[in-house]
Amino acid sequence: MKRWLAAFSVWLAVLFGGPAFAHEVRPAYLEITQTAPKAYTVIWKLPTMGDVAIHLDPRISNGWLGREPADQYAAAGFLIRTWKITDKRKDPIFGQTITIGGLPDTMTDVYFRVRLLDGRQIDAILRPEQPSYTITSEGRGAFAVPTFLLLGIEHILTGPDHLLFVLGLLLIVRSIRALVKTVSAFTVAHSITLALASFGLITLPIPLLNALIALSILFLAPEVIRAQRGGDSLTIRYPWVVAFAFGLLHGMGFASGLTSLSLDRGALVSALLLFNIGVEIGQLAFIALILGLIRAFRLMEISWPRPLANAPTYAIGILGAFWTMQYTAMLFGVI
Amino acid sequence: MKWRAAFGAAALVLLPEAAQAHLVITGMGPVYDGMLHFGLSPEDYLPIVVLAFFSGLRGSSAARMALGGLVVGWLAGGLVAMYVTSVSPELTSVATAMLFLVLGGLLASNFAVSARAVGVAGALLGLVRGLADLAGTAFSVPHTLTLIGMTASGFVVFSLAASLTLPLKRAWLIVAARVSGSWLAALGLLLLGWIVRYGPIVG
Repeated sequence: MKRWLAAFSVWLAVLFGGPAFAHEVRPAYLEITQTAPKAYTVIWKLPTMGDVAIHLDPRISNGWLGREPADQYAAAGFLIRTWKITDKRKDPIFGQTITIGGLPDTMTDVYFRVRLLDGRQIDAILRPEQPSYTITSEGRGAFAVPTFLLLGIEHILTGPDHLLFVLGLLLIVRSIRALVKTVSAFTVAHSITLALASFGLITLPIPLLNALIALSILFLAPEVIRAQRGGDSLTIRYPWVVAFAFGLLHGMGFASGLTSLSLDRGALVSALLLFNIGVEIGQLAFIALILGLIRAFRLMEISWPRPLANAPTYAIGILGAFWTMQYTAMLFGVI
Repeated sequence: MKWRAAFGAAALVLLPEAAQAHLVITGMGPVYDGMLHFGLSPEDYLPIVVLAFFSGLRGSSAARMALGGLVVGWLAGGLVAMYVTSVSPELTSVATAMLFLVLGGLLASNFAVSARAVGVAGALLGLVRGLADLAGTAFSVPHTLTLIGMTASGFVVFSLAASLTLPLKRAWLIVAARVSGSWLAALGLLLLGWIVRYGPIVG
C-alpha cells in the first residue's frame, strides 16, 4: 500500500506539477485610452506568479506596441506595461486588429477595452480559440450578461484547487442536511470575500493566497480519512465551520477573475453578481455530478478495490501538499 | 501486486510524454481538450448513452461489465492509434455506423444477452471510438492526457446514463428508454446508407 501511494504521488506530481498550475487562469488586460485628440495610452496587464508569467505578446496592427514601452513595472500579481502614443492620423484605431501572440497555447482570456474621448467604449474578450479582434466603431458591450456568467462558470470548472476542496467537503459530510449547510456556508463565505476583494477592500499577495488555498486542500485530506474510518473531529462534526473559514480564502481566489478588469464601480456590481452566480452554477453542477456518480456506483453495485476507493482522498492530500510546498517556496522566492 | 503492475504500465505510457511544458503553460489543457472533444462528438456520446441505457436495463452486473469494457477498450484503442498503428477513418466510420445499428437495435428490442456479452459490446465500442478519435485530425498532437480526458468523460456519461435505467421498473419508462435505441439504430441505418451511396464519412 505504501509503495502504491508513493507511486501514485509521483504520478500525480508529474501529471499536475508545474510552477503555475494551480488555477492560473487569471485574465490579462489590454486597454487603449484616448487621452487627447491625437494621444493615446495603452496599458497591458499580464498576470504573474512570483517571477513566472505566461508568455503573451500583444500586438496592434498599426504597430503601436512594437515600440519600447514608456513604463514597465511589477504590481501585485501583474506585470504592467504602458505605452504613450501620439498618432496624427484620423481614427487610427478603427479597422486595426489586436492579436495576442501565444494566447492559443494557454487557457487564459484577455480582456480588451478601448475608451475614447467622446465617451464611447469598446469591449472585447480574446480567447485561446479566437486570439484576434478587429476594432470597429460599432463594436461595444462585449462584457454583457452571459460573459460574466460564463466567466464565473469557467473560473470554477477550470480550477482544480477549488474543485478538490469542494470534493473534500463532499467526502466528509454524512447527510443531506449537513451537505446543504456546508455548501451554503462555503457559498456565503466566498461570496463575502469575492465582493470585498473585487472592490479592492481586501487584498492578499497572490503567492500567499495560493499557498493558503493549497493548505486548505491539504487540511481536508486527513479529515476525509478520519471520517472514512469513523473518527471524530471538529471538521467532521461541523464541516460548515471549516467550509466557511476556508471559503473566505477561496472567495479571494475567485476574485482574481475580475480584479484585472478595470471596471468602474457601477459596472462592477452587476459583473460581480453575475460572476458569483456563474461560480455557484459551476459549483452546484460539480456537486450534482459527484452525487450523481456516487448514486450510479451504488446502483451498479461497484465495489472498488481499496486503492481505487481511496484514490480521490489521496489525490486531495498529495496535490494539496504539492501545491502548498510549491507556493510556499514561491512566496519565499526559493523557486 | 496486480496494482503495482497496472501502475507500472500506466506510468510507462504517461511519463515519457513531452507534455510537461504544455502543462505548465495551459494547466489542464490536454485533459480539457479531450473532454471538449468528447462533448462535441455525438458519435462518441450517443452510442455510450444507448449502451448505458441497455446495460442498465440488463442489470447492475451488465452495467459494470459494460463500463469496464468501455474504459479498457477506449484506452486500448486510443493507445494503439497513438503508438502502434493508425486505422483508416473509412474503417472506423463504417464500424461506428455498424455499432450504432447494433447497439440501437439491442436497446430497442431489449434483447436478452448475458452480462459478459454486454461487456464485450462496451469494449468494442470503446475500441472503435478510441481508434477513431486518436487517429483523427482533431488534435495536432494526440496526447495521452487527451485520451484520459475523453475516457473519463465516457466513464462519467456512461455511469450517469446507466443510473437512469438501472432502477426502472415501470413498463412505460422502460419503453421510453428503448425508444432512444430505435433512434440510434435509425441513425446507424442512415449512416450506412450514406456510406453505401457516397462513401465513408471522413473527418
